[in-house]
This record gives sequence, structure tokens and C-alpha cells, in this order.
Amino acid sequence: MAGEDLNEEERSEEDKKKFLFLMRKAPYGSIYPQGGLEVILIMAAYDQTISVLFADDGVFCLKKGQETAGIHVKDFSSAFKVLESYGVEHLYVDKTSLEERGMKPEDLLTGVEVVSSDEMSGFLSGQDVILPF
Amino acid sequence: MGTIDMAGKKLEVDEDGYLTNLDDWSREVAGEMAKGEGVEMTEAHWEVVDFLRQYYDEYKIAPMIRILTKEIGKKLGKEKGNTKYLYELYPGGPAKQACKIAGLPKPTGCV
Amino acid sequence: MKFGILILEGPYQHQAGDSAYNFAEAAVAKGHAISGLFFYCDGVQNATTYMTPPQDDRHISKRWAEFIAKHGVDAVVCIAASKKRGITDANLIKGARIAGLGQLTELGIESDRLIAFGD
Repeated sequence: MAGEDLNEEERSEEDKKKFLFLMRKAPYGSIYPQGGLEVILIMAAYDQTISVLFADDGVFCLKKGQETAGIHVKDFSSAFKVLESYGVEHLYVDKTSLEERGMKPEDLLTGVEVVSSDEMSGFLSGQDVILPF
Repeated sequence: MGTIDMAGKKLEVDEDGYLTNLDDWSREVAGEMAKGEGVEMTEAHWEVVDFLRQYYDEYKIAPMIRILTKEIGKKLGKEKGNTKYLYELYPGGPAKQACKIAGLPKPTGCV
Repeated sequence: MKFGILILEGPYQHQAGDSAYNFAEAAVAKGHAISGLFFYCDGVQNATTYMTPPQDDRHISKRWAEFIAKHGVDAVVCIAASKKRGITDANLIKGARIAGLGQLTELGIESDRLIAFGD
């Protein structure tokens, strides 16, 4: 439960930056997606503009019905569902990545905006900080 | 490391009093932990514990404080959706104390 | 320019940590500032005193400690990642401090560029 001890002073608009998290890896294969998610959940307390883009194998992070008991690790996918309530502005999914893996938006556990590669490069250039995970 | 005695069964807790095995949690255990914290559990206390457990069950994380107050306000009534109310119930803090009694993992301190 | 540096991979296993160090040195040599280092995930292992590499190899944590001291750089090691790996103040390099992910957010806000070194 982050933010409890935060000094809740308001930041000026100049301090507000646009952060984009780029999730490129499958869950459970490495710590990256979970590591990225944990940063997002903390950063949400800091009043920044946050977006997340799922591309390549990163789209698997949002796959519905993840069952991790058999590999004895925590299923962290459920936490992606809280991002909207945490004030994360946009969840984007790369259309090509999704299609290449035979997936549809209905296969994902939360509402997302499916974007084309062209649209993607457009908003990547509009970010202040891009964090690849 | 310590233990909580529950009807002859010893449950392991860490140095801050969090359950080592989250499956050990029950309402009786929560009551015992609260006693140890000097918190007398009323219906209002249980509401928060139940909310935290439902939230954790659904999302596998504990909500950050801003979300906790917002969601409690939505679910339990506007007058309860603020930090003051939660601190009155749990003087040790909603994150630290309420989560401990609710049997959630210890916050990582990642602020 | 003020560069923030995020290190996500461990020492002697992956090139990311070496690249981060080489980048930081090069940036400073060119007159830029390093606004901070943040060690996260396995990256936290770069900042421990656990390692004793052979003399003909680079000493990764010593190298960072010297860099931090020489340039007065703030170096933060993620507390959650440290806890998982048994890293505490007792085995942390001099000049580094254990703190939360909020510090990474601050670093992103303060830096002109935040550069991530990972896989």
C-alpha cells in the first residue's frame, strides 16, 4: 500500500511528466513484466501521466485465465486490472503483436486501446520518459 | 520471528507480526492479532478487513492508500472514505496495521 | 544534460550493467551530469560487497562505489528487490542507499533523460 507516508504536497505542472511503460516480454519468463508493474503501481501515487504499451510477447501479460499454481509463482496479472482506478491514463496494445499471436481484444483481462504501429510511433515520440520492461 | 497461540496451535509470524503463511488466517486469528496490537475489533474494523481481503483476493495486491480511501468511500459510504477515519480505526496505519490484521503480505516499503 | 540511470541486470552475467557504467563515465567525461543511479531487479546485485572477482577482471561494485564517491552521485538500491536477495545496509557498497521505487519516479522527473539498461 504505497503512498501512506507520502508528503501529499501538490506538484506543479512543470514537474508532471509523461511516462510510458513499454511491456515487451512474456510474464513469468523473466522478472521484467512484474518489475514494470510494480514501478507503475508506485508511480501512480506521484501524480504523473502514465501510459502502458504492451507489444511483442508483452501482450501475453494481459491474457485472461492465467493459472500459476503449477509453477509456484504469484499470478500478478490480476493487478493490471487496477491500473484504471490508479489513474493510469492509457493501456495500449500493439495490433500486430496481438494478431501475430492469434489473440483478440476479448482474450485480454482488461479494456485496452488496440493501436497500429504507426499510431504507436506517434505517441512514443510524445513521451518524456519511456521505461522498457 | 514470533508465534501467535491459537487454541494450542502456534502460528508463525515475522518480526513485525505479519503471518508467515497467509493460509493461516482466520477471523479468530485476526482477532488475536488485533488484541496484540491493542485494537478492539468492532463492526467498522471488520468492514475494512473484509474490504482488504476481497481486494487482495481479486487483484493480488494491497491497494495504495489513495485508492483504499476512494474504494472504501464508494463501497461503505462517503463518510468512511478518508484517511482520518481509517487511522481512527487503525492507529498503526491502514497499510501496516489493517493489512497485517487482514492477513495480507507485509508492504515492501517501496515508496 | 542530466542523465538518470536505471540498471536492471546483475553483474558478470549480462552486459547491461557494464554498459550503464561505461555510459555514465562517458557522459561525465563529456561534461554531462548523472542525476542518479537506480538499481532494480537483479541490478541490485551490482551494489553489494559480496563480490570478490579475480584481479584480472573488473570489480563491478568497487567501480560503482568509486564513481559514486568521485562524482557525488545519488545511488539508490530498490528495497523490495534487495529484500528478496538478502541485501541490507551491512553488505551494500559505500555511497549507496536502500530506498523505494518512489525514488525511481523522482529520478524520472528530475532527469532530462532516464536511460534504462536491461535486457
